[in-house]
Amino acid sequence: MKYTSQRVAYWFFATCMLLFSLQIVYGFIMGFAHMGMDGLHDLIPFNAARATHTNLLVVWLLTGFMGASYFIIPDESGRELYSTRLAYIQLISLVLVGVTAIAGFHMNWWEGRKFLEIPRPLDYVVVANVLLFLFNIGMTVLRSNKYTATGIVLYVGLVSAALLYLPGMIYFSNQTVDSYFRWWVVHLWVEGVWELIMGSILAYLLIKLTGVDREVVEKWLYVIVGLTFLSGILGTGHHYYFIGTPSYWLWIGGIFSALEPLAFLGMALFAIAMYRRSGRNHPNKVALYWTMGCAIMSFVGAGFLGFAHTLPQVNIYTHGTLVTAMHGHLAFWGAYAMIVLAVISYTMPLMTGRKLWNTMPALLAFWLSNIGMLGMTAAFAVAGITQVYLERRLGMDFLAVQKEVEVHFLGLVLAAALFTAGIVLYIYTFIKFGKPTAELQENIDTEDYPVRESHAALGGA
Amino acid sequence: MMSRSQARMFFVGGTILFSLVFLFLTVDTLIKVPDLTHARNITPAVDRGKQIWESNNCMGCHTILGEGAYYAPELTKVVERRSEQWLKVFLKDPQAMFPGERKMVQYHFTDGQISDLIAFLKWIGETNLNGFPAKPVLKMTATSAPASAAPASHSTVTAPAMFSQLCTACHAVGGNGGNIGPALDGIGTRRDTTWIDKWLIDPQAVKPGTAMPTLPMSNDERAELVKYLGELK
Ligand code: HEC
Ligand code: HEC
Ligand code: HEM
Ligand code: HEM
Ligand SMILES: [Fe+2]
Repeated sequence: MKYTSQRVAYWFFATCMLLFSLQIVYGFIMGFAHMGMDGLHDLIPFNAARATHTNLLVVWLLTGFMGASYFIIPDESGRELYSTRLAYIQLISLVLVGVTAIAGFHMNWWEGRKFLEIPRPLDYVVVANVLLFLFNIGMTVLRSNKYTATGIVLYVGLVSAALLYLPGMIYFSNQTVDSYFRWWVVHLWVEGVWELIMGSILAYLLIKLTGVDREVVEKWLYVIVGLTFLSGILGTGHHYYFIGTPSYWLWIGGIFSALEPLAFLGMALFAIAMYRRSGRNHPNKVALYWTMGCAIMSFVGAGFLGFAHTLPQVNIYTHGTLVTAMHGHLAFWGAYAMIVLAVISYTMPLMTGRKLWNTMPALLAFWLSNIGMLGMTAAFAVAGITQVYLERRLGMDFLAVQKEVEVHFLGLVLAAALFTAGIVLYIYTFIKFGKPTAELQENIDTEDYPVRESHAALGGA
Repeated sequence: MMSRSQARMFFVGGTILFSLVFLFLTVDTLIKVPDLTHARNITPAVDRGKQIWESNNCMGCHTILGEGAYYAPELTKVVERRSEQWLKVFLKDPQAMFPGERKMVQYHFTDGQISDLIAFLKWIGETNLNGFPAKPVLKMTATSAPASAAPASHSTVTAPAMFSQLCTACHAVGGNGGNIGPALDGIGTRRDTTWIDKWLIDPQAVKPGTAMPTLPMSNDERAELVKYLGELK
């Protein structure tokens, strides 16, 4: 850590840990409800549990992106943050909006559209909050005289994410148009601008952890985000097959969304190639695990499992079934949850000055959570494929099919328990690090482990 | 090999090009959607229905147009599947229709709100969805059947509209219909018409604690049903 203001990131990450824990609790409520144990129905009906689960997910990921930006942007720009006070105000107001929204869900108050459940009046507060964040980061970049590709791609990603939130706030009385613009938020976020955020954080971590030359990493970063938009923008069409839009979306969406995995494949290959070239034996192995894991799991969850149901011939059967939930879990985990956990693992030793890397709990956290999540994905997959076969192919009644797949939700809950054990260990490690220190820890991650000459030359080639 | 500035050009150029194509297609889509969705049929009632739909987050359990949650049935074609009459009764007290099943919230809707919701569901059911939901290819013969096919094959009596709209959701005749209540084949031999009449007026009075709901119907409709059931021998 070169600048004291980077420490604000710690409080964003601590908030992440808290919201993430709560998200998991609501996941279990739904898992049990699917098994027929809906004892909480009168207090927390399924729709409230679901909205809380997914909104907490989105909020903790955004909080993580913000924390990561507050750490990375000063580093990339070579100066202190424009204002730490604004950062704290912004964090507190974000948490207040989140708490209000979630309390509202439990009292049947919402906008009521999938992933956009936050009531409209609160949307304005969210927008104000994000503008504050962008202003703070933007001023930091502007006041410096250093513009790196990593910093710029990160900033472009953050600004576009804010802009794309706006079409989701408009009311349309035609459900088809409503849905059309809902996807501008949901799809263009996760398969568009969030990939810029993920790609730039990944690039930053790879530069730091592997010591590969910035010139090489950033060239690939541009190629990958180029591929993202090339496929992802028209790829939005894979949500426009069956919602009352013209039929040309069947082939436009089919072709371009089938290309989307290329960007994720690019990221995985890029990370592996950089790791191979690595000239630095970085001591923070756990951060490297999370970074490499993110690159690989995002390809499996988003690229491979996304491709599995993206062609219209398949999607007409899987559309709106548990198959989608299978893909949603591994994609969000691999791409976005893991990148946030990777940044946290990388920055904690730097912020707190404690070299607690590679402890047993930290390593176990990585393996248990990933194995658990793969198990959950498998449980959703079996339930989803059974549902498609019985309900969509054989025409069996919805509720009868749900009875058939109940047993797979037992599998889901068991795998989720393993996953949760991993996350508990992660949070335990987080707490062990303690609070950030006031003294600057310049380059504690690299000074003892210099770049080896021969590899440095290779990296620059 | 590509240089960094060429890579940046690829990113910036690609993004601008594909954004423009996407905006162009968006305009074209917005021009065509009113026809595909019969937007002229979006009456104030349909709009009110949509707002009730959203302000209760029905999408948090159900899917509509295939979007939403996976906890409760897909509703785009529910009017076609169940009939308006059935929905009217169901939305009054959802749990009564599916005793002991996965629970829906009891919203205590007024009759006005119910008819707005039905107007919304009816409008959306007529949207052109490019073939979704797909017809089951390997359809099993006995599991479920469209309500209109309910009259028993071996019986010459035709069922009153009320029967095929409401009762077949729970009762089967001639192998067609739901299985929440017992099959009603031969009910005319098992029960006399006075019993059936009393039963339909208030099942709880005949058999306290029964899962058969009290269904709203006029005297004429009830008489028609009793006559029909009495002839199922
Ligand atoms: C807590 C989850 C939940 C919420 C919220 C919910 N439902 Fe349901 N709904 C269900 C379940 C479960 C069923 C399946 C039948 C049953 O067990 O009651 C159902 C069935 C239905 C059906 C009959 C479908 C069929 O094919 O038989 C309709 C219509 C319906 N709901 C409409 C609505 C509307 C309108 C709303 C919002 C005002 C809503 N539901 C909110 C859970 C929910
Ligand atoms: C929500 C599901 C449901 C609906 C809708 C329903 N029933 Fe029933 N019905 C039942 C159940 C459950 C029983 C068995 C009750 C018991 O034995 O306690 C039953 C029993 C009966 C019986 C007695 C059968 C016997 O052998 O004793 C008759 C007659 C009957 N229903 C007629 C009707 C008619 C007519 C309608 C339509 C107007 C109708 N039901 C709609 C659930 C339903
Ligand atoms: C990290 C990236 C991704 C994330 C986080 C993600 C997440 C999700 C989520 C949450 C949904 C459900 C959305 C809803 O119904 O509102 C969804 C749907 C879908 N995703 Fe992804 N996704 C990603 C990438 C991809 C990719 C690359 C593809 C294609 C190759 C893809 C294909 C699909 C398809 C076809 C659907 C629609 C499913 C349906 O019809 O029900 N996704 N995704
Ligand atoms: C650990 C315990 C977890 C359990 C038991 C769990 C369970 C569930 C269940 C049952 C649903 C609802 C599916 C439905 O509509 O019926 C759901 C939705 C969802 N969960 Fe989880 N979840 C857990 C953790 C997570 C994590 C860690 C993530 C993200 C990384 C996540 C992301 C999502 C998403 C994106 C959806 C919406 C999916 C869609 O609409 O297709 N969940 N979860
Ligand atoms: Fe998508």
